[in-house]
Amino acid sequence: MKISLNAIRFVNEHYGSAGNPAPEGVETIVQKIGAQLGAVEETIPYGERFDGVVVVRVMSCAPHPNADRLRVCTIDDGGITPDVKRDENGHVQVVCGAPNVREGLMVAWLPPGSTVPSTRAADPFVMEARELRGVVSNGMLASPKELTIGDSHDGILELDTDAAPGTPFTKAYNLEGDVVIDMENKMFTHRPDCFGQLGIARELEGIQHRPYKSPEWYRSNPEFPGVETDELKLDVRNEIPGLVPRFTAITMSGVAVKPSPVWLQIALSRVGIRPTNNIVDYTNFFMLETGQPLHAYDYDKVVAQDAGATQATIVVRHPREGEKITLLNGKEIKPREQAIMIATNDKLIGVGGVMGGGDTEIDAQTKNIIIESANFDMYSIRRTAMTHGLFTDAVTRFNKGQSPLQTATVLAKIVDEIRTFADGKVASPVIDDNHLPEDMLERNSVYPAVAVTRQFINARLGFDLSADEMAQLLRNVEFEVNVDGDNLTVRAPFWRTDIAIAEDVVEEVGRLYGFDHLPLELPHRSVSPVEPDKFFAFKSRIRDILVRGGANELLTYNFVHGNLLDKVDQNKEKAYRLSNALSPDLQYYRMSLTPSLLDKVHLNLKAGFDQFALFEINKAHNKIHTEDGNLPKEANLISLVYAANDKVVDPASGAAYYEARKYLDYLTERLGISLVYTPFIQEDDLEEKCPVIQPFDLKRAALIHVKDSNILLGMVGEYKDTVKKSLKLPAHTAGFEIGFEELLEAAEKAGKSYQTIPRFPRVTQDISLRVPGTVAYQALHDVVATQLETSKPRNTIAQVSPLDIYQKDAQEAYKQIAFRISIASYERTLTDQEVNRLLDTIAINAKAELGAERV
Amino acid sequence: MNYQNQKIADVASVLKEKLEILENKSDILKSVELRSLYAEIPQLPPEERGVFGKEINQLKAELEDLVADAAEVASALPPIDVTAPFDVNTPANKRPKLLDTEAGSKHPLMAELDHILDIFYRMGFNAIESRQIDDDYHMFGALNFPEGHPARDDYDTFMTTEGLIAPAHTSTMQNRVLKKYKEQLEQGDDIRVVIPGRVFRNEDLDARHEHTFYQLEGVYVGKGIHAGNLIATLKTFLQEYYQKEIEVKTQPFYFPFTEPSFEFALSCPFCDKKGCNVCSQSGWIELLGCGMIHPNVLKEAGIDPSEYTGFAWGGGIDRLVMMKHDIEDVRHFESGKLEFLRQFS
Repeated sequence: MKISLNAIRFVNEHYGSAGNPAPEGVETIVQKIGAQLGAVEETIPYGERFDGVVVVRVMSCAPHPNADRLRVCTIDDGGITPDVKRDENGHVQVVCGAPNVREGLMVAWLPPGSTVPSTRAADPFVMEARELRGVVSNGMLASPKELTIGDSHDGILELDTDAAPGTPFTKAYNLEGDVVIDMENKMFTHRPDCFGQLGIARELEGIQHRPYKSPEWYRSNPEFPGVETDELKLDVRNEIPGLVPRFTAITMSGVAVKPSPVWLQIALSRVGIRPTNNIVDYTNFFMLETGQPLHAYDYDKVVAQDAGATQATIVVRHPREGEKITLLNGKEIKPREQAIMIATNDKLIGVGGVMGGGDTEIDAQTKNIIIESANFDMYSIRRTAMTHGLFTDAVTRFNKGQSPLQTATVLAKIVDEIRTFADGKVASPVIDDNHLPEDMLERNSVYPAVAVTRQFINARLGFDLSADEMAQLLRNVEFEVNVDGDNLTVRAPFWRTDIAIAEDVVEEVGRLYGFDHLPLELPHRSVSPVEPDKFFAFKSRIRDILVRGGANELLTYNFVHGNLLDKVDQNKEKAYRLSNALSPDLQYYRMSLTPSLLDKVHLNLKAGFDQFALFEINKAHNKIHTEDGNLPKEANLISLVYAANDKVVDPASGAAYYEARKYLDYLTERLGISLVYTPFIQEDDLEEKCPVIQPFDLKRAALIHVKDSNILLGMVGEYKDTVKKSLKLPAHTAGFEIGFEELLEAAEKAGKSYQTIPRFPRVTQDISLRVPGTVAYQALHDVVATQLETSKPRNTIAQVSPLDIYQKDAQEAYKQIAFRISIASYERTLTDQEVNRLLDTIAINAKAELGAERV
Repeated sequence: MNYQNQKIADVASVLKEKLEILENKSDILKSVELRSLYAEIPQLPPEERGVFGKEINQLKAELEDLVADAAEVASALPPIDVTAPFDVNTPANKRPKLLDTEAGSKHPLMAELDHILDIFYRMGFNAIESRQIDDDYHMFGALNFPEGHPARDDYDTFMTTEGLIAPAHTSTMQNRVLKKYKEQLEQGDDIRVVIPGRVFRNEDLDARHEHTFYQLEGVYVGKGIHAGNLIATLKTFLQEYYQKEIEVKTQPFYFPFTEPSFEFALSCPFCDKKGCNVCSQSGWIELLGCGMIHPNVLKEAGIDPSEYTGFAWGGGIDRLVMMKHDIEDVRHFESGKLEFLRQFS
């Protein structure tokens, strides 16, 4: 919303509403607006752009000797411009190509040394005296476009001022020092009145603790003159009063359609609206004043829409099937089914509250008009605007929910203006199709008066204002306030749509008084300690451990490309899909983290990182698992991917699987959790239970369970060959993905891992066992460990750790596994003999259970 | 695959047998049998050619699939003993080991979040993480956004085909948090919670805009809580965070779920209001939106707004981190680039 400080001051003084809105200067008022009204996007020194422009009279016009289209003119600038060549009459010669230049015209002159207003922003062009086809032109006469008043460049702007030649343009049109303030629309979402200049003018007074009084015509009951001429009949039929609670209209005849007075053209172009003709410009001007959009139709064109009709009919309805309309912007649309349409008996002539139709537009020939001032449902307007991409000034205002109580008031004002300045005669009684509730009309306020107490307001703001002080703040902006002790009864003026409950009054008082007065006190609280969130704390702990292990935490998007899911063999049907994704890259909610991480491997290798471990702790979603009613379960997952470039991998170091497993063991050991790795065995519902299975190569991956529990953590392993190929992964890539909540559960259950240090020496012995190649390492380890625990002398502490796994080659039927066993007693020194006996027992059992031979 | 034509069916079974023993599986596609089938087409009566040709093509396609499957099997690695801690025959000095600790790094957003949470814990706040997929009720309905309200336009939300929403603000958790701590509130202990989490906005990426970023929501409800408490709480946090005195200011704003609503700015802690690149020479940094919780939001959670009042705020974490480290491009955060990540060890 843009406002001009000069315009506000003029209207304030003209109607006796208030005085200068910025008595302490522009900077102060801009700051106050920021603190008490809303963010200022830009302060535009609008008046400045006309510096140097002079009002002059064209004294003579003669043909140019060398150019048919140019004229050589002399102008009277009152003799005020220095350093310019003058003729014997003191006039200045200017060459002009405008078809409308003629003797006696008052025009805007850009003398040498002045800057063309339209060029100021981008590439300032400074005028000089120079020859045009052999004749000297001292500067030039300005077109509306050069002055940034509309975009017409067909001729020069004809001024309508009484000011004497030589008067600065800014003085003639009240632009001296004018500043346009552009405020963010967002905070006026609930303040439709602030989309009118009167609304802002009122607020500027209110926040400076001064009373504002709306112009008489706005405050009082609207009055319309009787029919002054042959009646132009108009019937209005409103078929959708639920969406159009009020439709006010009138006809006028004999209007003179012409360009608007210059002040009006300036008033519109200054805030970004293109001047068209006086009738359309008046509708826009009063919209800018009050926030109430207006629309003018050519009466005769409306009549002509209905075959054989002799009078105009306006029907407010939804579109019928197949109906189309060509809008003022030249576009044809097929309106959405529920749109509010303005129609005649036979045809659509406008999209209500959004944009008029081209067929009934006001043009230079228009004599008779219909003016509409209506109220439309904000939600319907918004949906229509969104459906058809029509974002007009009317939409901006209507979709905030304009007050329906001002339609007739604004209509009366524009009728008065057109009667006075455009020869219009009232040609019908006012039609006010009004479906507002009786009580709303009666109290002339959108909501019933709000009862609130001084204490209620002070308690929410931390202020200590008296009821009278509060009342005064509100009365300054024309609220009606009754004070009875500590009780305030607050009736909002008819243009306010946002004062429904006591909290709304709190906001109003706080804002008008100034939020910069809020007392900065911390709330009091008890000394009871706060428990840090266990999920965040656990994430932190995992992060610390993995980082210590040289891994890099990354974050990747929740949204992935369908191709990525395809590449890792995940079923897209199970993934939530966005209906309005930014691009196909971001279309699906990921179902596990690993694919996102794998997607980051190649780019890092290419960037010169030869080996790394990436990890992420984040959420993934799928359509299988839900929680809390029908919401998708938000599973937190931990994924890690280890990758190494071929050139840094030592072939003797074995499969990448073991690198990934090393990270997982490192992590879980520090959490006191023991894991069980089992080869993958196909189960029907496993993919549902454990959505992280894809993209692992199931022959080279293990399911991970927490030892001695049935908690399934996830998977660790290498990735399928097809995955490696399509994501350009190096051969040596592996990783794991496990459930975060499951890991937390296991960690919470984990016992203490500290063991008392024995005072007696530790005895260490190795045992090497030969087993068939099919026997899993874990199986043999378990036999050894179990036997060790059951057979060791009492009150000892024993450990078994892997020493070596040897198999001559893959075809060899046997492999040899060596363990190191260390044992210490808490009560005595163990003998070698004892330990040897223990190893013998272990070997015997290993043979019995797994056919192991001691070697 | 069943072939109608007996001749083709015969050739198919012969070729499949052959495939089993072939060294180079793709040779099957060049086999005499297959080529001779093609050669037969011109000899056939015109009306039979179509069906015959189609079946040969089917056979060829089937063989191609079999060859591809075989190639996959051939290139696939053999099974390994996943129960072992290291591979067979791996010498002791070549066994898996972790990368150097120096290479490790925490994501700067997560590290900062830990730091921020630590301050809020000390200030007496609980923490709970925000959801990454939610419904319309929590994102809008419970927050006093009527259906079709223009305020919804300010949140360019992603929607799933089912109508679920990728939350555009952490306020999507407000109703849940209020309900969760309601009982505690009624027993006399104020609700104090911060809600960090990932949020999403449907907007094009550039150096300053991400569609995915992190926010931190704060909620405080109790008896006699006023707007001054809100500003003081934020100011206290920021002074602790920046370890220096700062000034704060507010601008009135509009959010459907707070009344009154503010935009909150702090004096630039990097230049002490002198003007620098971080604050675009203005001396002030607009940081977050906040306000007194709207009575309808409290009511929706079953809390009596005539008895309790509260405040809420929400602000971006990415921006704090960018300012702190002078990070020039917000897109680095989710880029996964080690060149970026390893700078934050």
